[in-house]
Amino acid sequence: MSFDWSAVFAAFPDLLLGLRLTILIALAGLGGGVALGILAGVALTYGGRLAAAPAQCYVALIRGTPIVVQVMFVYFALPIMMNIRISATSAAIITLIINAGAYNAEIIRGALEAVPGGLREAGLAMGLPFYKVLAHVIAPIAFRRALPAMGNQFVNLVKDTSIFLVIGVGELTRRGQEIMAENFRAVEIWTAVACIYLLVISALALGLRVLERKVRLQ
Amino acid sequence: MSMIEFQQASKRFGQHVVLHPLDLAIGQGEVAVVVGPSGSGKSTMLRCINGLETLSAGDLRVDGISVLGAPRDVRRIRLEAGMVFQQFNLFPNLTALQNVMFGPIRARGQTKAEAREIAEALLQKVGLSQRMQHYPSQLSGGQQQRVAIARALAVQPKLMLFDEPTSALDPELRQEVLKVMQTLAGEGMTMVVVTHEMGFAQRVGSRLLFMEAGRVVHDGKPVDMLSAPPGDRFREFLQHVH
Repeated sequence: MSFDWSAVFAAFPDLLLGLRLTILIALAGLGGGVALGILAGVALTYGGRLAAAPAQCYVALIRGTPIVVQVMFVYFALPIMMNIRISATSAAIITLIINAGAYNAEIIRGALEAVPGGLREAGLAMGLPFYKVLAHVIAPIAFRRALPAMGNQFVNLVKDTSIFLVIGVGELTRRGQEIMAENFRAVEIWTAVACIYLLVISALALGLRVLERKVRLQ
Repeated sequence: MSMIEFQQASKRFGQHVVLHPLDLAIGQGEVAVVVGPSGSGKSTMLRCINGLETLSAGDLRVDGISVLGAPRDVRRIRLEAGMVFQQFNLFPNLTALQNVMFGPIRARGQTKAEAREIAEALLQKVGLSQRMQHYPSQLSGGQQQRVAIARALAVQPKLMLFDEPTSALDPELRQEVLKVMQTLAGEGMTMVVVTHEMGFAQRVGSRLLFMEAGRVVHDGKPVDMLSAPPGDRFREFLQHVH
């Protein structure tokens, strides 16, 4: 068997279009997932029973179901229940945000709980309201503690976007599948797709390592 | 008027009474040194003053403001009462200078330039102008505690609370911290100091409180109490800390 480079070159523009969508969905999921994760993580840690209970339910629900089922639910079931229309890409982004938010919430709770209580007291003793202590004293320390686990979560998130081929989102894996269905060049196409993921994730991992080193405590 | 006034103030954790109803007034400029065996309620009593512990019953006023008031009142008390902790509790992600600038900026709403001026002067005062750009982990315990004192002073408090400020320090590092505290007392700062340093109590204290099992059992002038210990438990205690 010979590796047909021309099949890769021919597929490349299409694959790049897929990559663009993959990155778009991943970035939206990453940003939204972090925001939602912070919200739920703070509720879990400091919310008292009233705010912690809904956050616990949310985390349990998302972690207890496969992401494929989640996206099917958002794309097919939710529109029927709420009588709305939703594009496949929107469904993918919403699912990814909700999914990542739950995992991030647990990471953030762990990081917040690991911050020494004395620092919080030092902030409070200066007369700061708790939200300022959280923002200026606890968050900078918790952020550093959360970073390695969050990085891992980001890497998973990028790969999880491939799941959205099941609802027809034209991201990288879906493009690969479509091209292969036309030319049957399985070896070439899947090698190319795998290499593209590897490159993107390597770049992400490198960026995360640089960031970790930059904010490391003296 | 008293700077600090306990009015039948008490604290319990569940069934356990940590602080029995206490009536106590500490005036402006006083340096009240609180001693006693561990678990006698010294730290709890101190932490009630700035609301880090909430009272179970009674009232406590700081400069006329009750700790039972709205959160805003409690924050006003905390702005007026600087606190120094046994474990220093410096912010590890900030330099010495940034630690001291933190209060003026975040608690007092001052500009960076104002905060820097205050912080540089205070770090000079505690003898650390050569260490301003160091992170806490790069400082000795004694230096960290001096930064912590400067950090508390930067908010411009009317009184200072010290919670065993030298207990986590090696003996040879204690003096540099005690010296800074003595200077502060000499300037007329109102201070409540929970400590085991009887030498400091004698030299600097205007008042000595001995606590045992959640009660202030003795309250008097340090010189008098140390030369003629009132009560067997206090005499016994002195033998142990000396």
